[in-house]
Amino acid sequence: MKSAWASALVVPPLAMTALFFVAPVLYLFWVSLHEASPSELYGAALTLQNYAAVFADSFYVAIIRRTLAVAAVILGLSLVIGYPVAYFVALLPPRRRMLVLLLLLFPLMVSNVVRAYGWVALLGRRGVVNTGLASVGLIDAPLDLLYSTPAVVVGLMTILLPYMIISIANALAALDTRYEEAAQALGAGPVRTFLHVTLPLSTPGVASGTLLVLLLTLSAYVTITLLGGPRSKLLVSMIYDGVTAFQWPHAAALAFILLALALALTMLVLALLRPARVQGTGR
Amino acid sequence: MNRARVAGRTLRGSATVIATTLILVPIAIVVVAAFSPEDYFEFPPPGLSGRWFVEFFRLENMRSAFALSVELALLAATLSTVLGTLGALFLARRRGAVAALLQGLFLAPLVFPTIILGVALLLLYKTLGMPVFPGLLLAHCIVAMPYGFRTVLASAQALDPALEEAGQSLGAGPLRTFLLLTLPLIWQGVLSGWLFAFIVSFGELNTALFLTGPGVTTLPIEIFSYLQFQGSQLVIAAASTLQIALIVILVTAIERIVGIGRIIRAR
Repeated sequence: MKSAWASALVVPPLAMTALFFVAPVLYLFWVSLHEASPSELYGAALTLQNYAAVFADSFYVAIIRRTLAVAAVILGLSLVIGYPVAYFVALLPPRRRMLVLLLLLFPLMVSNVVRAYGWVALLGRRGVVNTGLASVGLIDAPLDLLYSTPAVVVGLMTILLPYMIISIANALAALDTRYEEAAQALGAGPVRTFLHVTLPLSTPGVASGTLLVLLLTLSAYVTITLLGGPRSKLLVSMIYDGVTAFQWPHAAALAFILLALALALTMLVLALLRPARVQGTGR
Repeated sequence: MNRARVAGRTLRGSATVIATTLILVPIAIVVVAAFSPEDYFEFPPPGLSGRWFVEFFRLENMRSAFALSVELALLAATLSTVLGTLGALFLARRRGAVAALLQGLFLAPLVFPTIILGVALLLLYKTLGMPVFPGLLLAHCIVAMPYGFRTVLASAQALDPALEEAGQSLGAGPLRTFLLLTLPLIWQGVLSGWLFAFIVSFGELNTALFLTGPGVTTLPIEIFSYLQFQGSQLVIAAASTLQIALIVILVTAIERIVGIGRIIRAR
């Protein structure tokens, strides 16, 4: 299929991506560099004021700090819980492993608004947890579990956890077991074998799971709003608020600050966990 | 030494129990709540009832949001799979910097923060005066395109190029070669890409958040605004359960068509 005719194949998807993905993002950046206007989407004069104003405002700086802290805690928890689960999954025989992975994949296809609603039904004032605790007599008045930063952390962490498990499990399952056998034959115990052989060889999976969890945490507006309420807003909530207040250049600048954070975190993860080449025949 | 092994096994086992509980219980609770007979959800439920599903279809805004989501998902899945297939066929046999760049570009919406894409498209549409429905459809296409692209790319790269050369040397034109030879060999990839794209479009939140308009709302956005402004009424549980049921059916279909292994690796 190497003809001029075949080259024309790429035109429709390329045009679509250029017009409705690349162009709007560049346009958003252009808007972020302009002053606000009371009547138009953005004013005529070029300025960096939209960015400077965010970093000069202690309110926004605190929100960015909280966003990074929440992302770090979610990442930490999903690694600590996800890694052993992935190991468990990788050790299963292939057929059973595929079934468990399918069970983990299915929740990822359910819309996040539905999964967040599940947490609302569990943690709300009339939720399962509160009525359960009241019925066994542990509490007299319902606890305020919802609309807090811990609710956002727990809800979002469990929503994103399958990404971490699937990424690491795929890396562990592709790992050549002869490396582990060699380490044990040379006298390394299970702990040493894990720390010096299995863990380093699984870094590509850890890296891709980490990236997915971080990037999806940063833009999870709906989950953050439903579980965090008005008091636990993160950077992504400020973008939405800016849009609904018609502060276009301000919202655009916040969007690019979020994008810069996402890029910086991606580089950091890739630098720390430089995916090593893993070879082998797999389990 | 043996103690470490036992500890490892215990750790893996208990983490798995905790994780699956945390992941699946919130979804199960929604389904249980949808069958509540009372006005408020009680656990354990005092009985079973289908009244909230009746209520769902009785509410005009819920019904039209459901219809719009299905229509949008059908169109977006079809358009994005066609575009993704074209891109995948083009890139299947190409190497080099340009091919790598194009592949990165076609896959970029997977990791790009969709909330930013939503704001960016809203601004572009405001400037262009784009109507709500086509704007929404194009946004869903961009978000869904990587899925079709990736599954077809995997199928097309597994194809033996000699087959297509044979077809062409026997006198078949490019279109005939594609329809009679390539398409039958990659249709599993195309179909599973289409089903993935449908699921992604049906649940899409972050771009639709900005692009829906009065009277033109998708089901996930309708559920979200209900939860935000009218509290957790059980009709939301019914709406969510319908969505879960649809996804169970589609995932089962994908599994039947291409097998589980393919799904996991495609992600």
